[in-house]
Amino acid sequence: MASSSKEQLSSPGGILPFLIKYNTVFIFVLLVVFSAFISDVFFTSVNLSNLLKQVSGIGIISIGMLIVILTGGIDLSVGSMIALLAVAFALLVNIFALPLAILMTIAIGFSLGSVSGYLVAYQKMAPFIATLALMTVARGLAFIYSKGSPITFDTYGGLYMSNFANNSFLGIPNIAIVFFIIVILAMIMLRYNVFGRVIIAIGSNEEASRLSGLKVNKYKFLVYAISGALAAIAAIIVASRTNLGSPNMGMAWELDAIAAVVIGGASLSGGRGTAINTLMGVLILGLISNILNLLNVPSYPQQVVKGAIIIFAVLLQRFENK
Amino acid sequence: MQNSTSEYRLEMSGISKRFGVVSVLENVNLKVKHGEIHALLGENGAGKSTLMKILSGVHQKDAGRVVLNGKEIAPKNTHDGQVLGINVVYQELSLVNDLSVAENIYLHKLGASKFWMNWKKINKDAQELIDSLGFKIDATAKVRDLSIVQKQVVEIAKAISEDTEILVLDEPTTVFDPTDTQKLFDNLFKLKERGISIIYISHHLEEIFKIADTVTVLRDGVDTGSIPVKETDTDGVIQLMIGRKLEDLYPERNSTLGGAPIFEVKNLSAKDTLVHDVSFAVRPGEVLGIAGLGGSGRTETAKLIFGADRKKSGQIFLNGEEIATRSPSEAVDHNIGLVSENRKEEGVFLPLSIQKNISVTDFSAISGKFGFINAENESKNVNNLIEKLNIKTPSAEVPVKNLSGGNQQKVALAKWLSIDSKVILIDEPTRGVDVGAKVEIYSLINEVAQNGVGVIVISSDMPEIMGIADRILVMHEGTIYGELSKEEFTEENILRFAIGEPLKK
Ligand SMILES: Nc1ncnc2c1ncn2[C@@H]1O[C@H](COP(=O)(O)OP(=O)(O)OP(=O)(O)O)[C@@H](O)[C@H]1O
Ligand SMILES: [Mg+2]
Repeated sequence: MASSSKEQLSSPGGILPFLIKYNTVFIFVLLVVFSAFISDVFFTSVNLSNLLKQVSGIGIISIGMLIVILTGGIDLSVGSMIALLAVAFALLVNIFALPLAILMTIAIGFSLGSVSGYLVAYQKMAPFIATLALMTVARGLAFIYSKGSPITFDTYGGLYMSNFANNSFLGIPNIAIVFFIIVILAMIMLRYNVFGRVIIAIGSNEEASRLSGLKVNKYKFLVYAISGALAAIAAIIVASRTNLGSPNMGMAWELDAIAAVVIGGASLSGGRGTAINTLMGVLILGLISNILNLLNVPSYPQQVVKGAIIIFAVLLQRFENK
Repeated sequence: MQNSTSEYRLEMSGISKRFGVVSVLENVNLKVKHGEIHALLGENGAGKSTLMKILSGVHQKDAGRVVLNGKEIAPKNTHDGQVLGINVVYQELSLVNDLSVAENIYLHKLGASKFWMNWKKINKDAQELIDSLGFKIDATAKVRDLSIVQKQVVEIAKAISEDTEILVLDEPTTVFDPTDTQKLFDNLFKLKERGISIIYISHHLEEIFKIADTVTVLRDGVDTGSIPVKETDTDGVIQLMIGRKLEDLYPERNSTLGGAPIFEVKNLSAKDTLVHDVSFAVRPGEVLGIAGLGGSGRTETAKLIFGADRKKSGQIFLNGEEIATRSPSEAVDHNIGLVSENRKEEGVFLPLSIQKNISVTDFSAISGKFGFINAENESKNVNNLIEKLNIKTPSAEVPVKNLSGGNQQKVALAKWLSIDSKVILIDEPTRGVDVGAKVEIYSLINEVAQNGVGVIVISSDMPEIMGIADRILVMHEGTIYGELSKEEFTEENILRFAIGEPLKK
């Protein structure tokens, strides 16, 4: 009685539901195959390692963005934080020993994130507003402390870092390894740890979370602080690649991070999303820029293509939710 | 066009529906006459709501025919259904919290009207509609500020309009106290006189015998036929629903009450609600009932104790020691639990799996050092509860939103019953739960009490509260008006206290 096509659609073994379920991976593979066909430079190790280096910074803040978005919030400050923290790191590494400079930068990132976290969790400010304010403040501070121009590393510690940032281990760029480690940590925390359970619960029903006895405010505070700390790690990496910290770094990166998380199938209203899919989202965005660069497409049309892919990816997820 | 030979306004025949691989309805028939009240009964998950959603256009049938006034119909969405005169009060509240009462009532008509809104008229019409139903709600109030009872009234008002032909009410009285329910029935009789056909779903079987003309019972997605209400009784209906006789609805209470109270509140008053000067004590092993009319402050009292609302003054004692519950998490740290009356907004996480819902109250039992979750412990614990509460689901991984209403309620309960509580507050334990499962839940409450827990049960269902409680407190206007011991349990006594009058001598 029931039409057979319907049964096909809903039977777990069919090919279409598989593609819909793993749509992000599907798009990713499609892009890789397409890129390989269209350009013979694509599959060279130089290009691939360049690609990875390019996405690592944005990738790291995307993971921070993911955990904030899982609680139903958003962090618009991360792009500007990269500028401020890159400048801070350049200043610090020129004064203090490298490990100390790294720790201090991360601590500053964590503290700045805590400000957003405090405003959102304890002052009940809308995340969009609180982090928008912080975004402006951070960019302003970056210009103030750098006096408007880039600050170059000029100590041994700085040179060591830029060496690290531009080298590879077993063919994989060091900074990509840092990114992948963060992805794996996030994956473990989200999937197997109470931390992940709680923030997903908060994102899917905040009132029910509160009435289940969860410390909602503490966790909401924490995700912004972590996002700030991750922005610090990203900033150190980005600054080290070019051997300097500039107040112009990370311009509009928060938007790319949001795009990556959304392409990865997370819901902006919270409660849904995974670290692996966000990694896919980051790689998809990186691939698009990479292949368009290889094809010598100028940057304005690139933006149009990027936007179109975002729409396509999100439309595909519609089916998944049906 | 009009098929005058048929005595039925609505004929649904051979309806089948599956979700994925799960078959929910199989070859179901339902025929409803003009101006009749037709009860649709069945256990949790039997497919009642699904059948109604097919009628209204939320879901599409896989097979079968729906004929309305002699014409085959196939609504593709709820708008199609409304145009055909099919209006539904769904089991779950579906109001827009940020809009006013009037805006919600006319929401589905807003798009069709002229460009400019005549707010004055909309507010006036809405107010008249609500007044005519006999309830007191300000039409300009924001829905967010209403009580759950008032929200339900707005849902009902929204479904009644000039051109309603079929009105479906899916468990409309779960949040009502007896006076509200009576008001609803008066309204239904009026609508029936206007020739409107009403399909009425409820797990309160006594309601069926008060209002319905015909009853159809669904069992596991198959209908067991329709019979005139006059020709059956409660036992007969239960037999049809669960396939066997039900011996005792309420379990034997034989727990030994401890001497000293395990839990006590003294002169508790709220900062933001009407609750004031509430004092009572619960002994270990005792089931203490709290009755009262809707709006008398029962839910607010529970939330106050649990730390979800702010206190103005008063003290709380656990095992004789004063404790502070400034937030729910503090209450939970003291092993106090609260099952909320508002399942969808406060009780469950709809998009999350049953497993994640149940585990959320007690991570310490399933996680080790550094908060890593022991998957084996977790699934053992969860599957245990699924079995114990008889939650109807293919697996623990199913999102709660895909469960039937009654099964969602069981998840909301399971989440608190899994932990070692000292005191547990249960606000409306069996809202939307079928008779068979009610028995399970009552004996579970009994079992929890027998383990020495202090159980506080709030219920608007008078037979229920009299059946399970050892003692009943009755609230009136935000405070405890009177106390009834077991020998004094009668509906009349509860109601007298509830409206603020002393007992008859
Ligand atoms: N969207 C959905 N996806 C998958 N399964 C569903 C969906 N909606 C309902 N079901 C399943 O269909 C069955 C029937 O559900 P339905 O809501 O119709 O039951 P019901 O008779 O109304 O029960 P209750 O008395 O508890 O409200 C249940 O087993 C439920 O889990
Ligand atoms: Mg139902």
